Amino acid sequence: MPPRLQVLRTATSFLCPPKSTAITPLLAPFLLPAQQLRAASILSSLSDTKGAYHKKIRRGRGPASGKGKTAGRGQKGQHAHGKVPAGFNGGQTKEEITNPPRGRNKFNPFKVEMSPINLDKIQSWIDQGRLDPSKPITMKELNDSRCLHGVKKDGVKLLARNAEALTTPINIIVSRASAEAISKIESLGGTVTTRFYSPESIRRILCGKTHPTISLQSPPSLIALSLPTLSAKKTPPPELSSALTALTSAEAAQEAKDTAVASVMSQVLQRYQFRLPDATSRKDIEYYRDPAHRGYLSHLVKEGESPSLFFKMPRTVVPGGVKRKGDVKKKATKASAENKLW
Amino acid sequence: MRSAIQQFNRLSISQDAAPRSISSPFIRTLTTTTSPRASLTTTADTVIPPPSDPLQPIGPQSVLATIHAFPSLEPLRFEQYPASHLYLPTRRDILHRAVIYEGDKTRLGTASTKWRDEVHGSTKKIRPQKGTGHARLGDKKSPMLRGGGVAFGPKPRDFSTKLPRKVYDLAWRTALSYRFRKGELTIIDGAMTIPYPSVSYVEDMFNAHGWGNKDGRSLLVTLGKKGRRDFREVMEKLGNFGRMETWDEVDVKDLLEMGRVVIERDALKNILLSHQSDLTNSIWVKGLVSANKQEL
Repeated sequence: MPPRLQVLRTATSFLCPPKSTAITPLLAPFLLPAQQLRAASILSSLSDTKGAYHKKIRRGRGPASGKGKTAGRGQKGQHAHGKVPAGFNGGQTKEEITNPPRGRNKFNPFKVEMSPINLDKIQSWIDQGRLDPSKPITMKELNDSRCLHGVKKDGVKLLARNAEALTTPINIIVSRASAEAISKIESLGGTVTTRFYSPESIRRILCGKTHPTISLQSPPSLIALSLPTLSAKKTPPPELSSALTALTSAEAAQEAKDTAVASVMSQVLQRYQFRLPDATSRKDIEYYRDPAHRGYLSHLVKEGESPSLFFKMPRTVVPGGVKRKGDVKKKATKASAENKLW
Repeated sequence: MRSAIQQFNRLSISQDAAPRSISSPFIRTLTTTTSPRASLTTTADTVIPPPSDPLQPIGPQSVLATIHAFPSLEPLRFEQYPASHLYLPTRRDILHRAVIYEGDKTRLGTASTKWRDEVHGSTKKIRPQKGTGHARLGDKKSPMLRGGGVAFGPKPRDFSTKLPRKVYDLAWRTALSYRFRKGELTIIDGAMTIPYPSVSYVEDMFNAHGWGNKDGRSLLVTLGKKGRRDFREVMEKLGNFGRMETWDEVDVKDLLEMGRVVIERDALKNILLSHQSDLTNSIWVKGLVSANKQEL
């Protein structure tokens, strides 16, 4: 039986047509029909989401069930009566052997899977107050603010969809970035840094067990950028603030910078359970050494060096330069040959 | 323009949080109705001051809850609670899963019968197979015979189902948030005690606050039993007015059952602390208020 209150409510809606006069709000409490105010518990209206449950198919329970007589197994034979090994093809070579998955559906362990993030979405999140542009934006911030719903195994790639939407300068640290996105962010006065993340480290970063940017090979500029994330307090601890001044000032001595980096690393190790790994494969190192990618290892590339670890730069010709070692040896053998009798 | 819209949105959050006045809802549904009594006595006032700079990041949201004195219900002060604790959206599916989980868990499953092999007796054939003019029978423990075993009768079993702890904890806070949003969560400062064990005293108090039977009964949640023995005894007699439980005795269904929840501040703190596994990485619950150390 439906609840009586439902009937009452529909009846009252017919009896008292809503009139919006100026006096109605004042009289509202008295105009309300004297309906019985029962405490209705929410318990009676709880239900799981539709589709969360599937009713189990009850096989062999009579013709009305639709799965009655043969219970969906067809007529006669081994399949109707018992079990047939999975993939068994009557003794013929199995389907998965003769016709294995190819192309897109095939499992590819070398596939690079990254979560794309676009500039317009970042701006929208900043406008909604869900991302803080004054702090560096990493995958942790993006995931925590639900700008990204989880990060795929190889990290985040920054893309430039609706690049003109971005108006706020941001400091963003991602796995990869498109050239257009880099140029747009830098034209606004922000910075892009790409750095290496391993699949395991991404999982740890998202659950707060690893710092999102600071690793052993992080350049001092990146460390200085991400120092504010290390302390939640408004006034950072003295060792952090001194490290920040040492890292940011241009004229600070190399030793001071090194000690600052060491102190920051010790802070990171105290606070986080795991260290953030650095790139180890040649492909990754070369990507992050490239200044065009704004890679975090690009400061290691010396003047005249290329990011590639494999191809050497062409030798610069020195006019009248040093003679080769081989030439000297050749000449010596030639001279000794001339002095020989036989 | 954008900032103006944003401001407006934020204001609407705080408006939603405030208890609705008596005159505003013209058409009411059963479950979303705030009873006028509840809105007068149990204030769930939540006023989020609009930020001065509209582009400031929102950060963690919080709501203000009123802390009341007992038994006068005089509002003493506001206290801030994270929105993830007391202002969650009402997810009926999550609540449903939690209630079903608790129901399954509390099923005893002790029904037990004896099958034919467990019944005491001989397995001797009770009459010849042929020639008697009667039905064929084997031993006297056959389920067909009186005094025989039960064919496939119930055996003790475990009905409990599983629910991820994070979902269950979310359900706890969703239940509390649901109460808070409706103005049906009254937070009490200190301990709920009565001066002497008098049924009429408690009856009068419940009637004065609109907590009694005709207002849907009330669940009183305390930190411990110490010092509340009188009150508990009276509440056992006044079962049609409500129930008194300690914070570790209640479950999600209890929180949703009655007309309102009256809870001690420390009990609420303990419940929230022990049901936030989906918010923290730590599996250890720290900072619980001990019932023995509470001042009465």
